[in-house]
Amino acid sequence: MNKILVVDDDLDILSLVQMILTMNNFTVEALSRWEDIYSTVEEFKPDLVLLDVMLGGADGRDICKNLHLENQTKNIPVVLFSANPEMGKYIKECMAQDFLSKPFEMSHLLETVRTHVN
Amino acid sequence: MQVFTSVVVFGIVFGVFIITDVNSYKQRKVNSMISIARVIGANSVSSIQFQDPEAAREMLEELHSVTPEIIHAAITNRDGQLFASYSKPGEKAIKIPTLLKRKAFAFKDLQLFVSNPIMSNKEIIGNVYLEVQLSELQQIKQYKYELAFILLFVALIFSFLIAMVVQSYISNRLLKLVNSMKKVGKTGEYTKPLEEDGKDEIATLIQAFNHLMEQIQESQRKKDEFIGIASHELKTPLTSIKGYIEMLNLLEKEQPKKQFVQKALGNVNKLERLVKDLLDVSKIQSGQLQLNMEEFNIDELLDETISAAQSLSGSHQIVREDHLDGEIVYGDRQRIEQVLLNLLSNAIKYSPGEKKVEVNSEKTEKELIIKIRDYGIGVPAEEQTNIFERFYRTKDISIHISGFGLGLYICRDIINRHYGKIWVESAGKGSIFYFSLPLKHSLTSQQTEALNP
Repeated sequence: MNKILVVDDDLDILSLVQMILTMNNFTVEALSRWEDIYSTVEEFKPDLVLLDVMLGGADGRDICKNLHLENQTKNIPVVLFSANPEMGKYIKECMAQDFLSKPFEMSHLLETVRTHVN
Repeated sequence: MQVFTSVVVFGIVFGVFIITDVNSYKQRKVNSMISIARVIGANSVSSIQFQDPEAAREMLEELHSVTPEIIHAAITNRDGQLFASYSKPGEKAIKIPTLLKRKAFAFKDLQLFVSNPIMSNKEIIGNVYLEVQLSELQQIKQYKYELAFILLFVALIFSFLIAMVVQSYISNRLLKLVNSMKKVGKTGEYTKPLEEDGKDEIATLIQAFNHLMEQIQESQRKKDEFIGIASHELKTPLTSIKGYIEMLNLLEKEQPKKQFVQKALGNVNKLERLVKDLLDVSKIQSGQLQLNMEEFNIDELLDETISAAQSLSGSHQIVREDHLDGEIVYGDRQRIEQVLLNLLSNAIKYSPGEKKVEVNSEKTEKELIIKIRDYGIGVPAEEQTNIFERFYRTKDISIHISGFGLGLYICRDIINRHYGKIWVESAGKGSIFYFSLPLKHSLTSQQTEALNP
């Protein structure tokens, strides 16, 4: 069972993604407060982080970069997702593995996650 | 213009000077001649009274040495008959002009005629006539004209030089303003305000331009900000709605509930496309639509897009008829996919009941042309250019097809930004949409052409 950490400040989307992934045999930890990301990553040790970009007070791109600069977390793949498709341009810059634009198809979400956990 | 003005002004000024100069010279002459005539008159009173014309003539001859300009002089008695006369040697005999009947002096050509009565005991006993050659006047006039001409010429050169300096100063600043206006109009770039030297009208103009550009930038910034916020705020709830309806669709097996959910899902997808189109149009208009250029396999993209479009309609058959072999083009893969998807879904939408949509491609030396052919209602010739305009909807009201009329407008913009072309042709039944993409090796030259038409 692969472990996925989902971070989004919109609770409806958060529980939706959690539901979709759980139904597809992933162990999911859902987080709406970005402040808790680093401690959760340490404890939960996810196989992939699905990270919203506009987190209200923080930028997902910065968090992604920070995770990749830490030795312990640098090998965890990060997929950014945002309602702003322009954010897709920044994945190289902040060392994210992929980008998912909102709204997304359920199948596309699963496909993307599966590509990067293995 | 400046030179012409100064010539006119100087001409008038010099003209007035010459006229007043000549007039005052004439006045002086008249005065001095009248006083001479008076002296002669006073001295000849006794000659007339004693009927001694010889003495009068001798006196008149004295004039030759006093004022050589006098060519004729005469004294008449009270009846107007010639009493004594003198003519400068070499001149014709005197003939008292009629024009002096009433006036004290008169000018004719370059001659001055003066007449002065001889008074004795408050009684006119005769008249003195003088005829003066104004040879000096001619010289004075000529001298003045020459002087005026030289001065005019000098003034002309001066005003031309000054005009040149002033004009180049003015036109340089104006040209600078015009250039930066052109640049803003063409590229939308306005990085720093123009410098405004001086306090004249041009400086005010530059100031007004800077102010205007600041306002434009401000409103542009607000618009961009709005697009950003609207994009996020519209798409976030849409993500939830779409996701939950997709979940429902997955879980629901019972009819007609399943059918209702599917209808809702279809409409959410339509709404999602509309929101995306509207945001794309805003981006196009504010010049924010940027391409993410990369090399990609168009062959692969065609297959992917066709299978995605195929899933939109079970009743249509989308067929690829070309034989590309992993052809690589240079462009924004996502945007080209958007164009393809748009054209394919149009082909499906506008050929209700028909089964076939054909995708073909043709490679020339410079570009790759993609053709999408449907067997639907077609595009009338008069609408073939208009359909790429914003908010354009077909005039044919017999068919009801929803949409904002933004899709083809966005397609055209995307293709134009790739330095390609997009157009439509009628083909018996249905229509063929074409778009061209420059192949990578020819893109550099096309770019240069597009930038320097």
